[in-house]
Amino acid sequence: MKPGAAALPGAVVVGLVLAVVLDTFIQIAWKLAGNAAPTAAALGALSSPFFYAAMLGLAAQLFNWMRVLARADLSFAQPFTALSYLSVLALSARSLNERISAPKVMGVCLILIGVFLISRTPFRSPRPADEPGAVRQ
Amino acid sequence: MTPESTGILVVIAAVGVESFAQLFLKIGASGGAGILAGPWRARAGWMGAGSSARAWISLGLVAYGGEVLLYTLALHYLDVSVAFPMGSLCFVGVALLSRIFLGEAVGRVRWLGVLCIIAGAVCVAL
Repeated sequence: MKPGAAALPGAVVVGLVLAVVLDTFIQIAWKLAGNAAPTAAALGALSSPFFYAAMLGLAAQLFNWMRVLARADLSFAQPFTALSYLSVLALSARSLNERISAPKVMGVCLILIGVFLISRTPFRSPRPADEPGAVRQ
Repeated sequence: MTPESTGILVVIAAVGVESFAQLFLKIGASGGAGILAGPWRARAGWMGAGSSARAWISLGLVAYGGEVLLYTLALHYLDVSVAFPMGSLCFVGVALLSRIFLGEAVGRVRWLGVLCIIAGAVCVAL
C-alpha cells in the first residue's frame, strides 16, 4: 500500500460483499422470471413471483449501494460487482449441467485479476483543488 | 431484424442508461452536485440542480427503472450467458463518467482492471 493511502474501511468491504450476494440473487431471480414469461411482451414477467423476488432484491441492493457510494469512488466500487459474474456462472453451471470449458476458466481468472487490480487503487480520489479553499484529503 | 440483433441493441441501450443511473446515484449518495467536477458543478448550479441529493437519487432511480425494463426485455431475446457479459461494457461507461463528471482518479491500474474484467466476461461467455 502506498504511503498515505487510507485503508479500506470495513463498512465498504461489507457493502461490496453484500452487493455481490444481492446481485447474484437478482440475476438468477430475473432470469427465472423471464423464463416464466412465454409471450413476447416483457410485461409477461410481471406474473411471475420471481420478478417480485428480483424487485425486492433490487430495493435491498439500492439501500446497500447508496451506503457504499457515500464512502467510496464510483469507479472503484462498481467494478467489484463483476464478482457476481463468477457466482452466477457457478450457480447456472450447476443447474444447467454446463461444462466448465477452458475459456470460462480463463475468463474467471481475468475477472479476478481485474477486480484485484482495482482493489489495489485508492478507494477514494482526492477532491480536485479546483476552487479556492478546496480541502485535499 | 433477428432476435439476436434486437437483443444486442437493447442491451447496449441498457448499458448506457445504467452507467448514467450509477452516476446519478453516486451524486445523490455524496450529498448532491457538490461532488461534481468544477465545470459541471457550475453548470448544475445554473440549471438549478444545485445540491438537492434527493433530486439526484430520484433521477438515478428513474434511469435504473428504465434499465430494469430494457434488461428484462433483452433477456427475452438473449440468453443470460450473452446478455450478462455484454453488460460488462457498463464498467467502461462508469469509468468514463466517473472521470469526466466526478473528476475521479481513474488511473492506468484502474483501467487495466476494467479491461481485464471485460476480457474475462467475454471469455466466460464463450
